[in-house]
Amino acid sequence: MYEDLRRTGILCSLPLLILLAVVFVAPLLVILGFSFMPSKSFSLLHLPTATNFVTLVGAGYYKSLLWSLGLSLAAVVVLLVICYPLAFAMAKVFGPFTNVITVLVVLTLFVPDNIRLFGWVLVLMKGGLISGGLRALFGIEMDSLLYTVPSIVFGLVYVYFPFMLFPLVLGISMVPDELRDAASDLGASRFTIMREIDVPLAMPGILVGGMLTFVLSAGAMAESKLLGGQKVIVMADEIETAFTYGQNWPLGSALSVILIGLIGVAAVFVLKRIDLDQILGKT
Amino acid sequence: MTTGTSRRERFLFTAYALVVLGILFLPLVTVTLASFSRKRYFSFPIRRYTLDWYDKAFQSLTIAELVRTSLTIAAIVTLICVVVGFFGALAYARYPWRRRKLYQKFILLPIFFPQSVLGLSLLLWFNFLGIIPTWKTAIVAHLVWVAPVATLIMAIQAYGFDRSLEEAARDMGANGWQVLREVTLPLIMPGVISAGLFSFLLSWGNFPLSLFTTGADLTLPEWLYAKMVSGYSPLVPAVGTLTVLGVAVLVAVGVSFVWLIRRRGWKG
Amino acid sequence: MTGTASNIVLRLEGLTKAFGSLIAVRDVDLDIREGEFLTIVGPSGSGKTTLIRLLVGMDRPTTGSLYLKGERINDVPANERPTCMVFQTLALFPHRTVGENIEFPLKIRKIPPAERKARAMALLELLRLPTEYYGRNVMHCSGGERQRVALARALAFDPEILFFDEPLSALDFRLRKALEKELKDLHRETGKTFVYITHSLEEAMVMSDRIAIMRTGHIEQIGSPDEIYSAPVNRFVAEFMGEVNLFPVRATTDGRLDLVEFAITLPAVGVALAPGEEGTLMVRPEAIRFLAPGETADCVIEGTVFNEYALGSRLQYNVRVGEFTISVEKLREDRYLGALGQATLIGWDLEDARFLGGED
Repeated sequence: MYEDLRRTGILCSLPLLILLAVVFVAPLLVILGFSFMPSKSFSLLHLPTATNFVTLVGAGYYKSLLWSLGLSLAAVVVLLVICYPLAFAMAKVFGPFTNVITVLVVLTLFVPDNIRLFGWVLVLMKGGLISGGLRALFGIEMDSLLYTVPSIVFGLVYVYFPFMLFPLVLGISMVPDELRDAASDLGASRFTIMREIDVPLAMPGILVGGMLTFVLSAGAMAESKLLGGQKVIVMADEIETAFTYGQNWPLGSALSVILIGLIGVAAVFVLKRIDLDQILGKT
Repeated sequence: MTTGTSRRERFLFTAYALVVLGILFLPLVTVTLASFSRKRYFSFPIRRYTLDWYDKAFQSLTIAELVRTSLTIAAIVTLICVVVGFFGALAYARYPWRRRKLYQKFILLPIFFPQSVLGLSLLLWFNFLGIIPTWKTAIVAHLVWVAPVATLIMAIQAYGFDRSLEEAARDMGANGWQVLREVTLPLIMPGVISAGLFSFLLSWGNFPLSLFTTGADLTLPEWLYAKMVSGYSPLVPAVGTLTVLGVAVLVAVGVSFVWLIRRRGWKG
Repeated sequence: MTGTASNIVLRLEGLTKAFGSLIAVRDVDLDIREGEFLTIVGPSGSGKTTLIRLLVGMDRPTTGSLYLKGERINDVPANERPTCMVFQTLALFPHRTVGENIEFPLKIRKIPPAERKARAMALLELLRLPTEYYGRNVMHCSGGERQRVALARALAFDPEILFFDEPLSALDFRLRKALEKELKDLHRETGKTFVYITHSLEEAMVMSDRIAIMRTGHIEQIGSPDEIYSAPVNRFVAEFMGEVNLFPVRATTDGRLDLVEFAITLPAVGVALAPGEEGTLMVRPEAIRFLAPGETADCVIEGTVFNEYALGSRLQYNVRVGEFTISVEKLREDRYLGALGQATLIGWDLEDARFLGGED
């Protein structure tokens, strides 16, 4: 019975919804509350004030925000360029090899991020794999490759690689082969096909991958710490500092609210444009 | 496969894939390399090799304790996520109810949030509730991020099968519970196992959420980070390598299991 | 073959199902007799599947009542009704063996394994499947074999009524023809009530005791295949039942019928019509003859034989009269012997024509 099915559906959704309400929504509300509390206070029982947000702009926190957004955008662009050919091959060319790649990539996801980034530290640092290897083999002296802006972007690109790759693979696999064959048959060149068919039809995948990596990068902290050596202070860093060393929960909350707000806008923008049933149902 | 993929193109694509995979695994290989260094600090190329650090890793009580903590958290997180996510996945993909599309998008939200912010907000929340952070609160923190992922994985599997199978079972006399056990569960089983695997590993390897919510207790990733920043010794890459190996074994077992079930079906 | 009229196993009264503003099934009254083979035919969107789902219990009717042997079962859920449906996709459980599939309804009812197996074996025999198939994975069976497994499974718990939702539509022609006959044989052997839906009239004609024709949620006509073929109740049914010639006619003032296109007037075919009233005269292609010189018929028309089509043992002809095309069908031995493009006389007798009401 249709009506029974609907009821069952709602019942099934409840455990997860309740869980998220308690563990996800409630804490965020607390943060929201705290963001309006007077500076350096530790309870919610004060009168609301907007001082934290004023401090935000005045004390130059916006710089961190811009750095976070800028680095994320850079990472997204780089990832799009790097991942697209591979995703295309995985969706259309490789066949069973695709599964091998998938498993290997997923494998790296399970290794804790800090171990992976630490590995890059070992590779890029002075005396590390690259620098030490060059010296031993060719006698070339090279300085550390770490602690620069590009190294941070590199870290972001590395860590969030799978989050661009898999949505792209999914998106590209949604482009029917027949369309491409037909276009080719009608005389279209490789580039025309890519422009007129591949990209528009794979757009849901591109949007999801881009948005996911952007959002995750914007909130990232470890890359700038381990690979950037605090050369650049990103938003997530500021938030952590405010909460721990700064002992200023309201300020930290305000910063979080801003970051979450931006992320939320990007996420909603993309989610509104895609139909999850269509994407996931095709797998 | 698509037309117009010449052998040369295939070769180029394969070469590209191998290069990317190589770069992907380079840091892991380096970490393994560093674990063999006799010297306390790492410099390449390594002059003297030793397995002492692995010895130390296996004998250390601290590390055993850390492993126990991480394992316990991961096990409980997995159990909760798989159960809650199973029903959540059914609601996601199989039942037609009004707010379903909204639900689908809402469930995915936690995945987009910076984990550090989530961790911090949970810290405030616990403080607000008067709860002191221990490894038990870390479980709660992990749930935020892992449950949506688990649900998503099972939902993908749930999209796949023929609705009329459940209807036919009903028609032949099965009640709701029997349908779930005899038809729905066996068909989603590959997804359930994948979700379990993912949940376990994501919780086991998680750092940002653990950092803020374990309080005085420590998980393995937290310890590794602390040592990386100060107090480095090759013990860190040794433990790191062992972690990677453990993960690889688990994934291999899990993947084979899923593959087998996909081919032979789940007999329950 | 059919049950007596007093043996009604399923009665539908005013059954209606609406999905929002879309009315899929509209006020259906139907008596299904015990032991009969009833086929519900209709084009896509006519509501056949929705109707069957109401009868099986997958959906609840919006209004109206459903009685099983006199008891009202509107609120009885599908798993408590003594009915079983064979789905279009067969809905066999993948990765399970033939035996496990067939035994499923018995396992649900907690029948012990030995008894289950015995029943499954008996069903395999009934459906003419080798007993070795018991342990074979269902995915490794051919299309026709899977059909039979689905049938066996449906029969396993001995339901009163079996419903079929276009089970043969995905099969190729030969397999379909073979299975149609097997289904009819199965019906005879088991003596159960079969309710079958399809969009193929041919299938219905082969297998059914009675046919119900459905259009946009409502039953247009119900009767034996012969009844419907020879006496369709309206134009829709007439056209649905096969190739047919429909001539617009108008009653004259003196009680005769004017064939509007042809300037021919016929005596009224035993139908009381008001003068000027319009309607349709139906003449089956097989009833029309090519007139040899000197031969007459009640109604004679001159036309040109435009084309000949071979339909197995029969031949069909297009005869053009001005802008109108008349279909004529003949057995091979009575084939048209003249040349194509030549003017010919064709004719039919009044008793072979049937008057249908005005446009509905």
